Parts: sequence; C-alpha cells; structure tokens
Amino acid sequence: MKKTILALALATSFALPQASAQTLTVATAGDQNMVDYIKDYLGPMFEKSNPGVKVVAVGTGPGDGGSQKIYEKLDAQKKAGAAKVDFDVIVVHQKMAGTLAAESLLDKYRERISTGSLVTRETAENSLGANVSGFVMPMFHSQTAIAYNADLVKDVPNSYSELAEWVKKNPKKFGYNGIKGGMSGVAFVSGWVTAFGGDAVKLEKGPYDAATKANWDKALADLKAFNANVVITPGNAGTLDMLNRGEIAMGPVWVDMFYSWMADGKLPPNMKLKLVSPGMPGQPMYYAIPAKAAEAKLAEKFIALATSPDVQAEGIVKRFNWYPGIDAKNLQGKLSENDWKKLFTDITPEDLSKNGKPFPIAPYFNDILESYEKKVAN
Amino acid sequence: MVGSQQINLMTQKHLGLLLLLPAFLMVLALFLFPLGISLHAAFTDTNGQLTLAHFVKAQALYSSDMIFTLFITLTSAAIVGLFSLALAGLMALSENRFLVASLKFLYRWPLFIPFIVAAQCMRTFLAKNGLMNNSLIASGLLDPSQAASFLDWRGIIITFVWKQTPFVTLMLAGAVSSLDKSMIEAARNLGASRLRAMLEIIIPQIMPSLMVGLILSFVTMMSVLSVPLMVAGSQPTLLTVDMAFRINSYGDYPTANALGVISYLMTSLVAWFYLRQQIYDPALNPAQS
Repeated sequence: MKKTILALALATSFALPQASAQTLTVATAGDQNMVDYIKDYLGPMFEKSNPGVKVVAVGTGPGDGGSQKIYEKLDAQKKAGAAKVDFDVIVVHQKMAGTLAAESLLDKYRERISTGSLVTRETAENSLGANVSGFVMPMFHSQTAIAYNADLVKDVPNSYSELAEWVKKNPKKFGYNGIKGGMSGVAFVSGWVTAFGGDAVKLEKGPYDAATKANWDKALADLKAFNANVVITPGNAGTLDMLNRGEIAMGPVWVDMFYSWMADGKLPPNMKLKLVSPGMPGQPMYYAIPAKAAEAKLAEKFIALATSPDVQAEGIVKRFNWYPGIDAKNLQGKLSENDWKKLFTDITPEDLSKNGKPFPIAPYFNDILESYEKKVAN
Repeated sequence: MVGSQQINLMTQKHLGLLLLLPAFLMVLALFLFPLGISLHAAFTDTNGQLTLAHFVKAQALYSSDMIFTLFITLTSAAIVGLFSLALAGLMALSENRFLVASLKFLYRWPLFIPFIVAAQCMRTFLAKNGLMNNSLIASGLLDPSQAASFLDWRGIIITFVWKQTPFVTLMLAGAVSSLDKSMIEAARNLGASRLRAMLEIIIPQIMPSLMVGLILSFVTMMSVLSVPLMVAGSQPTLLTVDMAFRINSYGDYPTANALGVISYLMTSLVAWFYLRQQIYDPALNPAQS
C-alpha cells in the first residue's frame, strides 16, 4: 500500500511534458558527467541524424540510489498496468541491472541491434552474478583507483595493507566518501573487505552463503580503526575537491572523473593514480530498454549509435575518459595513439588486468554495505 | 414557521461545516494520512504483522547517528538562544542608534537564504583552505599550519546557528517591543545596569517567546537534509541523511519510517517539556498565578 502511494508520488513527480514530435527519454543514474554526456554530446548527435526527434536526459542521482529510482518508477508503472512506460532508454548500475532483468522489466534487445556483436566482455552476460545476457549493452567500463598528490606522497602505497600503514603515519591525509555519497567510497570499502575478509574468489563468483559475513568482523574492526585517521568527504566530487584544495593528499576516485578534472584544470598537475593490490573494483554502466518503452525502435537506434565504434572512440574514450564498453579492438584506427595512451597514463593495461576487479556478487555486495553501516559507521 | 427556522439553522450549521471541509480534508490527506502510513510501515512487517524489527535494525545501524542528531540540534538550539537573546537585548537597550539601526537592518538577511544555499556557501567558507581560514591567515591571526577544516559537525552547527538565529531574534524582538517600556526605564532609573535589566526584567518576560522560537528551530533543524549532506561527510550524520539513504539506495521504507518515528519522538519530547513547563511554571504563565 504505502509503496504504491510513494511510487505513484514518484511517478507523477517524474512525469515529463509530452512534446508533439517524437521524444526519446533517457534516464541515467550516476554523477553529473553521465547526464552531461547524454545532454551535451550524444543527444544532440542523435537529434541531428534523426530530424524531429528530441532527446530528453533525466539524471536520477549518483550511486546505486540513482538506479534504485529508475527501478521504482518502472516497477510502479508495471504494477499500475501502464501500457507504455515513461523511459525509453535507461542507464543503470550493475546491481540494479540484475534485478531489472529478473523482474522482466527489460526488453531483450541486444541481438536486434547491429553493434550487439561488438561486446565480448563477461559483464555483458553476467552482472554481479545475475544473468543479463541480451538485456544490456555496456556503455563504458570504469575503474576506481587511489589518486594521490605526488608532491605530498613520496612512499606511495602498493596495496591495501601498505595504505593502512601509510594512514597510520599520516593521519587525516587520506579521505574517502563513506558509502552514502557515491560509488568511489563504496568501491573502496568493497575492495577493503575483499582484501582482508578472506576468500575473494567466492565474493566475486559465488555461491552466496549468508554466513560468510561473519568472517568480516576483523576486517571491519580494522576499517573502523582506519577511519579514525581519515577524513570522510562529502561525495565522489567531494573527494576530488579536497584533493584539489590540498586538504587531503590521497583518496579513492573514479579514473574517468579524475582524468576529466585533470583535463579541466580542476586538479593540480602533479596528481597521479595508483591501482593498489589485491585490487579495486570497477564497473560498467549499462544501456537498457525498459519493457513497454514508448519509443522502443528509436531507443534501439539510439543505443546502436551510442555503442558504435565511432562514438565509443570519440565520446567515451576521448572526451569522457572512460574505458570503452565494446571490445577495444573495434576502436582500432578510430583514435590517435596519444588519445588511447592517455587512458593508461598511470594505470597500465597490465595493472588493469591484474588489479581491476568486479564488485562482489549482489548479495555479498549488500551484506558488505550493511555490515559497514552496522560495524564501522555506527 | 418554527420548522423552517430550524431547517435554516441546520443548513447554516452544515454550511459552516462545509466551509471547514476543504481545510479538514487537506490536513487529512496531506498530513494525517501520510503520517498514518508511515507509522503503519514502521511497525509492520511484509505480512502485515506487528513487529519491532525495523526499530532493531535502525538501532543496529544508526544508534550513533541518533545521539549525534540530538547533540547537534540541542547544541545549535542552545547557541541560537544565546545569540538571539544577545541580539534582541542589544537592540532593546543599546543607546547607540547607529548600532541598533544597522543590526536591525542586517540580522534578518539569513532568513531569506534557503538552507541549501547557506550550505553551499559554508562549504567554501569553512573549508581548510576556505575563505574563513584564508582571511584569518591573511590578517595574521592564524598560522597556516594550524588551519583546520570546519566541514564536520562544527560546520553543521555553524550553518544551523547562522540560519536560525535571525528567526528566533525576530520573535524576541517582537516580544521585547510589546513589553511595558516603563518597567525597563524604572529599573534603569533605580540604577540597574543594562545587563541586570536584561537578565531580571526582560528575559523573564520574553521567556515564552524564546521557548517557542527554540522549539520551532529545533523541529526545523531536525528536518534539514541539505546541510548535513553538503557540509559534512556521511559518518556520523543526521537522521535525515540516513532516511534518504535507506530510501534512495535500497527502497527500504520500513527502516526509514522507523527512523522517522524516532525523530517524531525526539521532537515530541522537546514539545512535551515545553508544554509541561508552561502549565506548571507561574513565572512563564502569568495567567495561572
């Protein structure tokens, strides 16, 4: 009852004005750069090649919370028996993609678009343990890493345990955003539990066992002690802000945001990245089409454009500093050597394949976040 | 004849009720109904059975945030009380007309600034290398190595005090201006210092207004989401942030509602203290004495 009412309230508040021409509504979770990408780059490009079409970008907020809002809206419209839903294309995080696919809220469109065969990564089939094959196209892959100011940090930590030592020696010089302010903090915490909680492979591949979380007590107690010497920043951008102002010397960030801020001159030029062992998580964002999308055909066309080698090269890699969503070999010849190398300035492809990890499967992921709230933040 | 008069009376009565109806329905639909839903959700499980599980979870995850919330709001209210008394007293008793005029002009400004804008300003003002520290360093009052960020619990308190002091001062200024001036003048003539006139003549008489102002401020501060979200990191944080997080990230309405009920309890406790005092304390309630 209360869920329906809240969902209805949400649904009405999201209702968009219907234009007379064709409108393609793209709802995207994530930070502002995600909205900017659709609004300033992809949308205008699609409008140009499809006269009469208007692309409307809706940002639903950073972190899994942004994807949750998209889910609630689609779920509410399904339960209300809507013939057409209000979003045509959605961009969601991994955890929610599994739920959406399992609850039949998505259209199985990948085989119908020409670029569907260009993805080879496992994340296109399996999203944190859930089968999403055919329902999603990775928009890009991104990675978290530790950003540091090379002028202030000489003994750069190579691993989580070295980082813990470093923080002990340099109190309040490391900052991250906890788990309520965006995914870079979530990634840092998940990497910590994977590093110190034991049995990393099980967290990544399953099978899920509810008793596993009992083994994390020591890791979480250590994290609580670690937190006493760090700064909790307000959000993904909050960490970058504090790095920029020199208030902290180190902190976990998204690689793409880091490079974009560097390119805009919003970070000191001596900032560098380090992907510490045993590894930090990265994730794709997914393009999906909701079941009963009003403009499903147009949505397919939009995603085909978005995942075409040209757009992946120019938009995803060159302009927004993400790793491509489709197989990198399709981008050969589309990018200058320099643009391609820029992505790997601090983190080499070898680092990436060794220490770039997926998030744990969804049930472990949820357990980690809740255990963190219970045992570290409280 | 009598019959028609009665009918007339009846319709008038109905008309009165009818006029009340829209307001009543508004309260019902926009306040009591959602309140009922939220209470219901806080105390029932998915099968509709009564349970305290959501409170157990809220306690397990957020007990320190509950204490933090009480600490922040009570401390802020106390500082707001002190500042607004000082401001109201200064405006009532100062003989420097220029000072009074400029205070009267200036003190209301924060009232017109939304919380979120205030939070945004504080974010750059209170940062370690923000405007406040930079000004202090430039004026030689602060050593650069000692500069610290105030973007934590202190930042929340500073923002709350900055936003709420004008509101309470406004109420106090109204109360002061309606006091009988001759009492203050008599006290001053008999040799009472300005401070003594303030403490013994003015404050006891404006106490009810002060309490109302502080309680309203307390309730306002309990419900602000933007300030803790923007000014401080997420742990510890105010209950509003936790509620938003439960809903935004998990769609977990039951725990969020349980946190809501805990917030109501905190505000009701404060209101109850106030009401009790007003009823029993003759000094605060002259009608009773």
